[in-house]
Amino acid sequence: MKINTKDLLSAALLISLALIGLWLNTDHTMGSARRMGPGYMPWLSFMLQLGLGCIVLGFSLFNGPDPLEKWTAAEIGFLIAGGVVGMAAGIAASHVPGWVSAGWNPLGIGMFVGCMVPAIVKSWRPLFLISAAFALFGLVLEPLGLMAAIALSVILSAFADDTHKPVGVVGLVVFLCVLCWAVFIYELDIRVPVWPQF
Amino acid sequence: MDLVTNLAHGFGVALTLNNLLFCLIGCVIGTAIGVLPGIGPVATISLLLPITFGQPATTAIIMLAGIYYGAQYGGSTTAILLNLPGEVSSVVTTLEGYKMARRGRAGAALTIAALGSFFAGTVSTLLVAASGPLLTQVALSFGPADYFSLMLLGLVISAVLAQGSVVKSIGMVVFGVSLGMVGTDVQTGQQRFTFGIPELSDGVGFVSIAMGMFGIAEIILNLERPEARSVMSGKVGSLMMTREEFKRATPAVLRGTVVGSLLGILPGGGAALASFGSYMMERKVSKGRHEFGTGAIEGVAGPESANNAASQTSFIPLLTLGIPANAVMALMVGALIIQGIQPGPRMVEAQPDLFWGLIASMWVGNLMLLVINLPLIGVWVKLLAVPYRHMYPSIMIFCAIGVYSLQNNVFDVYQTVFFGIFGYLCSKLRLEAAPMLIGFVLGPMMEEHLRRAMLLSRGDPMVFIERPISAGMLTVAAIALAAMLMPNIRKGKDAALAEGG
Amino acid sequence: MSWALRRRILLAGMIPASLTARAAIAQAWPAQPIRLVVPFAPGGTTDLVARLVAAGLQDRLGVSVIVENRAGAGATVGTDIVARSTPDGYTLVMSNIASHAISPSVYGGRVRYDAVTDFSHIALVITNPTVWVANPRSGIRTLQDAAARAKGPSGLDVATSGAGSSNHLMVVRMGQLIGKELNHIPFRGAGPAMQAVIAGQVPMMSDSLPSAASHIRQGSVTAVAMASAQRHPAFPDVPTFREQGFDLASDSWFGLSAPAGTPAPIVQRIHRETMAFLAVPETRARFSELGGTPGDLTPEGYADFVRREVAAWAPLVQASGATPD
Repeated sequence: MKINTKDLLSAALLISLALIGLWLNTDHTMGSARRMGPGYMPWLSFMLQLGLGCIVLGFSLFNGPDPLEKWTAAEIGFLIAGGVVGMAAGIAASHVPGWVSAGWNPLGIGMFVGCMVPAIVKSWRPLFLISAAFALFGLVLEPLGLMAAIALSVILSAFADDTHKPVGVVGLVVFLCVLCWAVFIYELDIRVPVWPQF
Repeated sequence: MDLVTNLAHGFGVALTLNNLLFCLIGCVIGTAIGVLPGIGPVATISLLLPITFGQPATTAIIMLAGIYYGAQYGGSTTAILLNLPGEVSSVVTTLEGYKMARRGRAGAALTIAALGSFFAGTVSTLLVAASGPLLTQVALSFGPADYFSLMLLGLVISAVLAQGSVVKSIGMVVFGVSLGMVGTDVQTGQQRFTFGIPELSDGVGFVSIAMGMFGIAEIILNLERPEARSVMSGKVGSLMMTREEFKRATPAVLRGTVVGSLLGILPGGGAALASFGSYMMERKVSKGRHEFGTGAIEGVAGPESANNAASQTSFIPLLTLGIPANAVMALMVGALIIQGIQPGPRMVEAQPDLFWGLIASMWVGNLMLLVINLPLIGVWVKLLAVPYRHMYPSIMIFCAIGVYSLQNNVFDVYQTVFFGIFGYLCSKLRLEAAPMLIGFVLGPMMEEHLRRAMLLSRGDPMVFIERPISAGMLTVAAIALAAMLMPNIRKGKDAALAEGG
Repeated sequence: MSWALRRRILLAGMIPASLTARAAIAQAWPAQPIRLVVPFAPGGTTDLVARLVAAGLQDRLGVSVIVENRAGAGATVGTDIVARSTPDGYTLVMSNIASHAISPSVYGGRVRYDAVTDFSHIALVITNPTVWVANPRSGIRTLQDAAARAKGPSGLDVATSGAGSSNHLMVVRMGQLIGKELNHIPFRGAGPAMQAVIAGQVPMMSDSLPSAASHIRQGSVTAVAMASAQRHPAFPDVPTFREQGFDLASDSWFGLSAPAGTPAPIVQRIHRETMAFLAVPETRARFSELGGTPGDLTPEGYADFVRREVAAWAPLVQASGATPD
């Protein structure tokens, strides 16, 4: 038997998402074929997804091998740690009074921390540093303003690529700040805080 | 003749100073984002949509359309010179185009790409003009069952022609449909799969999905393989084609135009599918097929004509039926509705300025693009000299600001991070994101039409088979599915793709 | 999906309230574009009237007023968005008989706003009767034709702008009078529903007069009956329901509302400008062409009106047994 790992995991993804969907869909009334309730169409599409997932599963057992790149112990370890620490940080943040638990900040903090932990491993950096930089942008935009958000997330994302030099990054930050101010604030007049709010 | 009067009216609209200006802006922006890898028309158009509010509907749509077909022109430049597709629709252009560039024929490849695109653009514009009003008449007889079957056909085609495994692609289409169910049920007001999050009661953000799975995931993947960002291969060389190249390219352009026009009309179709379909065809039937893999000019001429033809004809379902054929057209629906225009069969009659003005502007835009792309190719090449390490933070920041400004809510930013990681996972597992997005777009519309069809038929599913239009659509869908399951056709498709890696 | 894109409109305006002091807003108002949410798809009466009012307010206030269509669930989706937005005078809703009187009863617990307390009601803009129209090729010319068709083997399909609208209630009550349930086909707004009737997919439609008026004049649909007490002055040839032996009359109304807590000076200002716009002779001419009567209530009067409508419709909805499903 030649197992196709990529297809096997794809099947697992499709099937598990379909099962979760079907389970959540039990809350919604199905109605009849004539007068369909809110649960009818989701039921239809999740059942179809489940069936297709099973077919992919069947194929995956024979059309391999197509292995994923091997993960090192560090990669797996930090990935799991990231998930756990991120989750914990998010939950902890929602219990701290003040800015930390306001609005969607716990979600952002959880995402940011969760992405920063696996980014310690070099091979995870493109994925998780970019994600972390994006989450950081959301986190600091409203309290610190657009300029600070651009600077912080560009600097953080710069670590995802080896070829960056400090001078180049500073230049890029200045360039982007000026450009974004001109395009988004001056020209489009979008309503975001530009400077820190006190 | 009616067509001539109407087109004359259209040119009257398209040639006003304001419309010309916005057409030019659209084409320049389109070329720029086409040239730059990692930022596509979906992200750009959603970013620029607000600029168009102050403009009349016609001007707004003319500019947005310019971005879309402009990107098809620009995408080929990067594909040929850098072996890096600037757009999804230029993926197959890299196969032969880059090889031509390595042989020192980059200039010829760029020329045929631009000329082929212009020719295809002209033909397909005429096609839209001639068939639009006719199809509108047909469209008026479309019942809900027919709409449903048509969209189903579109989804099947988009999955069948997508890269990789057909079953997995259909799986992604269906997952997209399921994802489209999140939010308030339009008919009963029931909150579905929202987990009590008010931000989700209006559905998962389309722009968040698109920017996450296409913008952010793309940056990550590019960063992971530095070798893909290879520097430019030598010089552009002479833009002139040899007589031999011209003779070989001509039939390929013609075939590409036909294939592209047809695949563009289908819901779920569009530029990417068309260029891919044309490439498969050229490998099979062109005279230079034995040269494929070493820089055959047919492999550039066909797909590049096809993707431009398709980007024009994909306006047909939008303008006649009100169905968006792809993600870009879905944005156009948004733009029209903001202006108080309900896309649908009555648009030709009710909005003649918009309909004919848009068509005329497409041709004008294609002419502009020819000028923008050929004599000015040096400018765009300079743009490619910007190193990727400066490019990716900029793309990231633009995406972030764009997503946030959707509704000044950071939830959308976090949602985008989630879809970025999900998109990365999907690409590692070779699950296609494009079919998922079109499923997401068409899913809620399909639900609405399915429900209405069943209400009108009093619960009898036979209505989908009894109505001739619907039955026809379903038959074609079934044939397309069956064909892809036949071993030898699939092998052909796989072989074409193996080349591309 | 395009609903997500329509949010782009927000780029044009909106400061989170936390960023600017409430009082400062009131003084400087209006300093940015105003968004007017229409909780139906384009092409219906709500949309039509909203665009007229938006143009009028835009001239008078000196900032752009952007109409944003957010259809779905008997006009409750768009209305809910406004109920939850910042009360700074920059987000308004075209409140109407569906969103603010009938849907809260039809959809019950699924509606998360309170039609009375969650809004600062500003002005009643237009009231108009309901009209039943049919596709000219359907063979339906009178309500008797319609009743006969309904009692026939295949029944009668009637399109409306959505469950929870006054048009929907008319369909249910008409079915009770005929003695045979009509097959109610809800759309996302009167625009798409009218398209389906003109194309012949649905033979009949219950609609508010303004959105049907131009189609009746063009002859693309036949007016079968007007749900008013007397014949309508703009359409004297169209008989009423009563004349044809069915004791039904139904008005629908459309107005302007803002989220609760909108500063009183802003409410007063919008009210003043709206009334001034309604008093212009061109507006009155346009309204009578559409078959509607301009409203003349004060903000308090309109709030009171909404309160009475909600109370009046609850038992009617109960008795009719109308449900969204």
